Amino acid sequence: MTSPHLHINGIRKTFGDVVATDHVELEIGEGEFMTFLGPSGSGKSTTLYILAGFQDPTAGDIRLRGKSILQTPSHKRNIGMVFQRYTLFPHLSVGENVAFPLRVRRAPQAEIAAKVKRALSLVRLDGFEDRMPANMSGGQQQRVALARALVYDPPVLLMDEPLSALDKKLREEIQYEIRRIHQQTGVTILYVTHDQEEALRLSDRIAVFNRGRIEQVGTGPELYASPATHFVADFIGDSAFLTGELAEVKDGRATLRFTDGTVLADVPMHGVGAQGGKAELMLRPERIDLSDTVGPPGASLPVTVEDVTFLGNNSAVTARTGWGEPLYIRLNFGHPMMASVSRGDKLHVRWQPQDAHVFTKE
Amino acid sequence: MLMNFDKLGAWRWILSGICALMALFLLLPILFIVALSFGNSRWLIFPPPGWTLKWYGELFADPRWLQAAFTSAKIAVIVMVLSVAIGLMASLALVRGRFRGREVLRGFFLTPMVLPVVIIAVALYAAFLRLGLNGTLVGFVIAHLIVALPFSIITISGALETFDPSIEDAAILCGASPWEARFRVTLPAISHGLFSAAIFSFLISWDEVVLAIFMASPTLQTLPVKVWTTLRQDLTPVIAAASTLLVLLTVVLMIAAALIRKGKSR
Repeated sequence: MTSPHLHINGIRKTFGDVVATDHVELEIGEGEFMTFLGPSGSGKSTTLYILAGFQDPTAGDIRLRGKSILQTPSHKRNIGMVFQRYTLFPHLSVGENVAFPLRVRRAPQAEIAAKVKRALSLVRLDGFEDRMPANMSGGQQQRVALARALVYDPPVLLMDEPLSALDKKLREEIQYEIRRIHQQTGVTILYVTHDQEEALRLSDRIAVFNRGRIEQVGTGPELYASPATHFVADFIGDSAFLTGELAEVKDGRATLRFTDGTVLADVPMHGVGAQGGKAELMLRPERIDLSDTVGPPGASLPVTVEDVTFLGNNSAVTARTGWGEPLYIRLNFGHPMMASVSRGDKLHVRWQPQDAHVFTKE
Repeated sequence: MLMNFDKLGAWRWILSGICALMALFLLLPILFIVALSFGNSRWLIFPPPGWTLKWYGELFADPRWLQAAFTSAKIAVIVMVLSVAIGLMASLALVRGRFRGREVLRGFFLTPMVLPVVIIAVALYAAFLRLGLNGTLVGFVIAHLIVALPFSIITISGALETFDPSIEDAAILCGASPWEARFRVTLPAISHGLFSAAIFSFLISWDEVVLAIFMASPTLQTLPVKVWTTLRQDLTPVIAAASTLLVLLTVVLMIAAALIRKGKSR
């Protein structure tokens, strides 16, 4: 296999006793849109800052096109970056902001003028050259920042929650713009966010960060359909977790026993769990069905309906299992049960075997 | 807003009146001295019986006055340059630095502002006696720098605090070396603070009199010292003329400072 465009190789960063990132290992292909998704303090921004050269890793290496960049100072890495905060140079016009990277590279005047014009056109700010940053909206400022980061054709563009200061509507608008710009330029993008919807909307692949480590890397559908850990299952999409005991573990499949004696046999399992250990069954509200007949063994549970809320195109049903844990079911409009289901009904939830996941509990 | 001026009714007229009286109270001595400098009486009589430019003529004809004004300007310019340069470095350390005792250091830098000037003057006089700096240009500059620096540090730190260091990081990622980023981005972005610091430092040195009296020698004295010593010998309206010119320069520089502040908030 040829070496990847960007290789983050076993990055570890500690601040005193605090481990910010640990064993971060990732290969990013040329032109890929990779998102670091995770809660604050999960190490995703630290990893980005190490890439930018603002922090040095305690251990590990970063290779761009096969060559380590750790010894190269930030200003010679040729990397583009859009920051969370507005970082336009306040004393320079929009045109001069975008021209700045070319001026410090001593590019000829004609080339600067042409490239600035092209970059501003790319972010749909044609003719804004003479505006001052203070007279622009937050969304416009971030688009100029994007033009400034792309004007020198960097091999990698880093984006550190660039839309978090904007309101929801504007955020969605610029997400769409970023997607278009990615497709148009083919630039490799590393994007940091804590917003799963933003990650799903933008990315080719998502690396889910938690407590300094990458829990799972995959496309949005992969993470949704087969989460590797409890954390990923919880972070991507809605989910409910039912806690039970591992009665039997064999060939990556488990038999779960719940506190009231209910047994679920032959469920696919993630992680290493010993017999007798605690485990959780994860079910997604939109991937389970409500029925008055019992389903196949291992893919069905009896429940009592506790609450039904009509939400327009679907109804949210809260049910309780025999041992008292809550379970959420989403019934799409037109579902045969939708009209009849009501509080106190004793029914069965059923699911496809691939939609249930068992995680061992620490 | 704690109080809405438009909703105060009759109170607003009373408040406006108090304001006007305060302004008059502060400005009247200055207007008085300006009027006297154009008055034709030898004895500083107010209101002047007639008007003349004679005292300005006398002022400009006397080489001692010009010498004093030149000395003042020279000291003020040197103090201004040093104060901005040192103030910038101190501010960078105070705002960007992460070290123990930073707050103590900040307090230490600002002590000349709260210490009575006469105490600084006595202390410096005693110290400079040993060093042989009394009555020298270096002595004047050091003395004025001590009182000018706190203002310089306050204005420059203020500008630096509102400047997001991420902007400097952005410049570095754009390809500028750390020094290039500071000179092409950070300094221009805080230039309003640097200009204000320069103007205030110049003014503080320009009209400082207590330290200057201690530092002055018969051959080296600043304009305010010249005014003060002349005043003790005779009460000539030339003093009023000199004072008027002092005030004029101060007003011009204050207006410049205000315009710079306005330009910044644009």
